[in-house]
Amino acid sequence: MTPPRRGKTNLTPYFLLLPSTLFLILFFAWPMFQTMVLAFRGEGVILNLREAPENGAAVTGQIRQSAQVILLGNRGIPVAAPAAVSGEEEAPSETGEEAASAAEPWYLIRGLDMANQAFEGWVPASYIREDEPETEGGPFTSGSVRRRDRDVRSEPGPISPVVAQVAQDTAVEIAGQRTVEIWYEVQGQTDSGETVTGWAPSRYLEVLSTGGEQVTGFVNRGDSGEWTLRYIERMFADREFIPALITTLLLIVLILPIQFLLAFIMALLLQSRLRGNTLFLYVFSIPLATSDLAVGIIWFSVFTQSGFLNSLLQGLGLITSPIVYLSVESKHFMILAVVLAEVWRATSIVMVIIVSGLQAVPESYLEAAELFGASLWQRVRYVILPLLKPSLQVALILRTILAFQVFGVVLAIAGRGMTVLANEAYRWYVEFRNPNMAAAYSGFILLLSMITAIFYLRSIRTQEEARE
Amino acid sequence: MTTQATLPPLSEEMARLQRRAIRRRRTNRALTYALAFLLVAWILVPLLLIASMAFSTVDAVRAYPKSLLPNPVSFETMTFFLNSQGVVDSTVRSIVVALLTVVFSTLVATPAGYAISRYLFRGRDLFKLSILAVRAFPIVVLAVPLAVMFIQFRMRDQLYSLALVHTALTLPTTILVMSSVFASVPRELEEAAHVFGSSPVRAFLQVVLPLAAPGIAASAIFTFVTSWNEVFAAVILTIRSRTLPAQVLTVLGTSPLEYKFAGAFFMLIPSLIFIFFIRKYLFNMWGQITK
Repeated sequence: MTPPRRGKTNLTPYFLLLPSTLFLILFFAWPMFQTMVLAFRGEGVILNLREAPENGAAVTGQIRQSAQVILLGNRGIPVAAPAAVSGEEEAPSETGEEAASAAEPWYLIRGLDMANQAFEGWVPASYIREDEPETEGGPFTSGSVRRRDRDVRSEPGPISPVVAQVAQDTAVEIAGQRTVEIWYEVQGQTDSGETVTGWAPSRYLEVLSTGGEQVTGFVNRGDSGEWTLRYIERMFADREFIPALITTLLLIVLILPIQFLLAFIMALLLQSRLRGNTLFLYVFSIPLATSDLAVGIIWFSVFTQSGFLNSLLQGLGLITSPIVYLSVESKHFMILAVVLAEVWRATSIVMVIIVSGLQAVPESYLEAAELFGASLWQRVRYVILPLLKPSLQVALILRTILAFQVFGVVLAIAGRGMTVLANEAYRWYVEFRNPNMAAAYSGFILLLSMITAIFYLRSIRTQEEARE
Repeated sequence: MTTQATLPPLSEEMARLQRRAIRRRRTNRALTYALAFLLVAWILVPLLLIASMAFSTVDAVRAYPKSLLPNPVSFETMTFFLNSQGVVDSTVRSIVVALLTVVFSTLVATPAGYAISRYLFRGRDLFKLSILAVRAFPIVVLAVPLAVMFIQFRMRDQLYSLALVHTALTLPTTILVMSSVFASVPRELEEAAHVFGSSPVRAFLQVVLPLAAPGIAASAIFTFVTSWNEVFAAVILTIRSRTLPAQVLTVLGTSPLEYKFAGAFFMLIPSLIFIFFIRKYLFNMWGQITK
């Protein structure tokens, strides 16, 4: 197509690269940045108290998540009513008082209370089962109390003074409706021990006791975050951290040498032009595309108590009863099984990289070496290995980084008996629902990967410089 | 030893040396084959074991000691797995995600691969290098923040969002493969098309693309298998709409042996079939990175 023109920049290639660049920024650079943010930022750990019950009001103080507070009062700030507050849809939850949504409809109701006194007061709309309005689509004018006895309050707000109590199923008149966001006036202590008072929306607070003079509660969640090292500290202090790190590193140390040796042998075999070469190539590259989970299960079938290894040993008469390999008590067998599985699965990719590196080694070099009587070892050591260095470097970086994230194999073979770093990231996200800790672990994996890559690149470069 | 007869007579010493050399060569050759077959066995035996489990009766799967070959051959175990809750649904989802991944990554990677193979431009090496860097980086690191992001954008538990993540995973490889595929299409053909007055887009669509199609198909197959196998992001990003590996992983701790073994074999099937079709392109795929 267009040959490169000097002097004038051709924009076409940049245009063609745009989609992938954008994609990689969006799905690679940005998430990586976000990992760091998640690992170092505690979102929602700080609650801002404000001078007045509105979002823009000046901040009077900050209270930490889960701090105990005293609730001095509440106010329902009217907001625009949501589109439809018609009765029957979405069954109200039993904890209607602490509804997470910002805005909540309240009804002004009239009727007879438990002491048969007439009353007028406010209740959340969720307390009332509305009767069909007289005109279709018109406002509700009457209803009855749902489920249990309820407090009626002087104004919208869960800690407003109680004016009456109504029994379940009491018929009431709905005299008015207001959709409000409840704000509490909160008294609590800041980090420095100072007592502060201010307003905060109810969705950030949990009310503990409504009886007695004083209403207490705690900060459920904050509305702003802070940079923190606590996830990192928690990760380092985690009981599973050191075992996970050690296992991961141990696996790398055990797997990589075997893998490279085996891959190298495979590559040399393929280079030596055996009959049926394509068949060998096909077989050797089968594991390249296999699922790590499935491979883990294969080796699980070998090492499990009623598995093939025990069957074989018993068949040969070497053991009389099956040995338990995959238990916490025999960690070495679990490691062995994972090592075998990983060697089985991931040697192919190293082999393919080495083979394509070997193809770039000029045939004449090898012939010359052979002519001068170089043995196989000498040819490997002095001709092939030096020329293969870039391929080996790439393979080494790729394999080490992939080994940091070994996951499915370990889970399939050892279950909970053994853990690795990626496993911990998974556990924190899926089981403990803590994305921050999961991000701390994945950030740690990222850091290890980067260090590895830089280490390999530098060590190879310094060798080259030393040679020159 | 027939060749020896045609040679001029040798001294006793020489003949012995030559015989020894030939013998050594033959032993070497034999040893090489032995080694090769040993390695073939190392790869194939585990596959045979799991296949034999997958086609045994449930009783045979639970039996101890196990026999190496299924006796009798039975589809009971496979049927049990396929009828287990969620397996068919998650298989369908896996296929959908993998196909979406193939579409996304082929669409995004084709222009980039073409640009790398056909143009010399400033930043080309930088782009190639950053692609390599990206490929080496872990999916584990991507899954967690993306999961949080997807919750914010209401993309959680959607098949297309998982496909986007898998695309990020496969894109670097796909771009490199594409560039090597396009590089193998002679530039002269394209130039000829220009000479005969076709537009660059038409020349690409009608001349280059048909010639590059097998390579693109190979890379698409590889993308498909990668997505089909991927389990970490799948299990983090999906809740109800589990893909097959995510489904198997979730129930792994509580599932019986026959479920695990049949599941493993079932997950291996695509890779066994597909690698056969793309074996020619393997070196295109992985050889690229060292250049």
